[in-house]
Amino acid sequence: MATLTPEDRLARYAELAVRVGANVQDGQTVFLLTHVSHAPLARALARAAYKAGARYVDVQYRDQHVRKAMIELGPDETLTYTPDWLKTLAHATSGNALIATTGDPEPELLTDLDGERVGRAQMKELSEIVREQMVERSVNWTGVAFPNEGWAAKVFGEPDVERLWEAVAFCTRLDEEDPVAAWRAHTARLESRAATLNELKLDAVHYSGPGTDFTAGLLDDARWMSALFHTASGIEYVPNMPTEEIFTTPDRRRAEGTLRSTQPLALLGDIVEGLQLTVKDGKIVDVQADKGADIVRGQLASDEGAASFGELALVDGTSRVGKTGITFFDTLFDENATCHIAYGFGIPEVFDGEPGEGMNVSTVHTDFMIGGPELCVDGITRDGKSVPILREDTWQLPE
Amino acid sequence: MTERIDAYADLIVRVGANVQPGQTVYVAALVEHAPLTRAIARAGYAAGARLVDVRYVDQHVYRSFVEHAADEDLTRTTPWLMARTEALSDGGALIMIAGDPEPELLADLDQARVGKARPVDAMNRQLKAQNARTVNWTIAAFPTEGQATQVFGEPDVERLWEAIAHSVRLDEDDPVAAWREHVERLAARCAQLDEQAFDAVRFSGPGTDLTVGLLPGSRWTGGGITTAGGVRHVPNLPTEEVFNCPDWRRTEGTVRSTRPLSLGGTIVRDLEIDFAGGEAVDVRASTGADTVRAQMDGDEYGRRLGEIALVDGESRVGQTGLTFFNTLFDENATCHIAYGSAVTFGIDGIDGLSPDELRERGINVSSVHTDFMIGGPEVDVDGITSDGKAVPILREDAWQL
Repeated sequence: MATLTPEDRLARYAELAVRVGANVQDGQTVFLLTHVSHAPLARALARAAYKAGARYVDVQYRDQHVRKAMIELGPDETLTYTPDWLKTLAHATSGNALIATTGDPEPELLTDLDGERVGRAQMKELSEIVREQMVERSVNWTGVAFPNEGWAAKVFGEPDVERLWEAVAFCTRLDEEDPVAAWRAHTARLESRAATLNELKLDAVHYSGPGTDFTAGLLDDARWMSALFHTASGIEYVPNMPTEEIFTTPDRRRAEGTLRSTQPLALLGDIVEGLQLTVKDGKIVDVQADKGADIVRGQLASDEGAASFGELALVDGTSRVGKTGITFFDTLFDENATCHIAYGFGIPEVFDGEPGEGMNVSTVHTDFMIGGPELCVDGITRDGKSVPILREDTWQLPE
Repeated sequence: MTERIDAYADLIVRVGANVQPGQTVYVAALVEHAPLTRAIARAGYAAGARLVDVRYVDQHVYRSFVEHAADEDLTRTTPWLMARTEALSDGGALIMIAGDPEPELLADLDQARVGKARPVDAMNRQLKAQNARTVNWTIAAFPTEGQATQVFGEPDVERLWEAIAHSVRLDEDDPVAAWREHVERLAARCAQLDEQAFDAVRFSGPGTDLTVGLLPGSRWTGGGITTAGGVRHVPNLPTEEVFNCPDWRRTEGTVRSTRPLSLGGTIVRDLEIDFAGGEAVDVRASTGADTVRAQMDGDEYGRRLGEIALVDGESRVGQTGLTFFNTLFDENATCHIAYGSAVTFGIDGIDGLSPDELRERGINVSSVHTDFMIGGPEVDVDGITSDGKAVPILREDAWQL
């Protein structure tokens, strides 16, 4: 695949995102949520979407610098404000496809701003609509990254975009002869792992490692699943490209212990490093970090559910993202390198009960990485027995 | 660089749109305009904006749309675009950034589709708000490589920046004061023209002999306009024109365009139009005639005039001697007319009238508004009084009144 021109590679990538990721259906409107600096990818996605039969492709370009001006100079009430037209757009997404792009060209652009305002700056009503749509499972969506200079510089210390592209192509299986077939085989293997975990009917998961001794309770009416999703109307889609994880939504009431993140976290325009959390009775009660603790604290204060847990995800050493050995400073990638946990909103797709009873509800959802060879992950059965799941990054259960 | 772009953004926000504290500022830009858009966001918040709401458009995505969309979708307005247009029409500040980075991007597409493709309902709503003066708005340009190449034959963005800075008086010590003076001069010209109460304006020159009938009681407008709520703003940066609303029923003769026109991704060259009974009955051009025809046929009144504008040789834009391939500049270099919807800032007592009632009064209503340039040193402009006398207005690009 080294013979692919950059144009061909971009077109192939866009096609994978449209056909496997969002799985755009004939006659759908496709909403692209992207950044001005991702224009080449947005253009390729628009072409691929129309080719796949989209009725209309709507691009919403965001600009981090405009956002910075808002946080720095705008009035307080604007921080959380959602314009009416954007609510109209968000509602129109139901029944249609959505593709979001990541790959921050300036990951530290907001570093010098008031961390509390940065953490609070989030369109509340928009998040609410998106949350409802996740519960209804009414949108087939995916997220893909766009390699760019700023992101490459953050990852490699130099703006080597080509090197980043190669890493991204490897992680998303673009380097395979038939990426679509490779994705089918990959999702089948993840599905089988999720099935094995479900058969164990675990009561809790225990994490232990340097700085970490943490137990999260599981829910009877929640399942483990891989990132092969279905809308309520039956459209199969892969919300994250890449994806390597098996995940579930935990019992928001049952979490205890301490957690030390094993990788930096790109969050709201800044980097959080050395994050340590203390958890009591299901809630994060203390936040420490070498850098960026205020942003996490600001986010945790945004609503009642923000400080409880929404996701547990398991990733082993076969992860293509993990194999690159790269810290991408982008959650879409880094969360697929290794195990991770999210505070905030749970995952309705894996939960059969009413949100709020057991599954956490919040307008935030932030994944942070806690994994690696030094981390041991065990399942705890209902009779209190420990079942090893991960040791030295190796999956311990039958596949 | 940073200083110049910030000063420009400040001029756009404070003089152009004249953003008021607590207003939402709606910015319409291309992705290539991001540097100026960002400066405008900062200037907007500094001026007290409640929210700066940026809508970036991507011409390449638009190209895919024109290529692939179903015929009936080409003119569709999405509900969210309509909602945004409603919001900005109701007391918003609106800043539109011009400056086409790839003026010929759509040249190889089916021109009938290119001419037809536009969100008709949203455009009508916005035009209505602009005419009802419920929005303080401005259009300003951002220099791009593509435009610089088109103007100079090489991507000399710095040279284009200098031309734009001169045109919008950014090269003055105090651009805001310079604008105040300039706006007063244009207003004085409007007063002179209003005093004459011409019945028509006649253009004559090579390939042109055109008489455009005016509407009694319609005043000339220039420099700036004031919203219904009393906010004085300058709709175009630069602006050198004084303009009026013609009677859509009374245009006769032939006109030859004196400058190329950038239209919907193609360049229209050597445009010639014959008018009879107010209607464009024949359209010819060496390139782009199909785009003009398709646009005119977008609705029943696209073939009628909606604006007549006079510009003399003192124009800073004209002084640069450049063709910008951008109507915002080129229309301020010389006299121009527009087919399509009327500019009604100089007409009182028409609020709330239906399109049919407006047309009954001679005011054109259409979803199209395209200016094209017809002036220059070889084109004489005369005012025709109601008793048929000709009064010179422009000779060899010099103002005669």
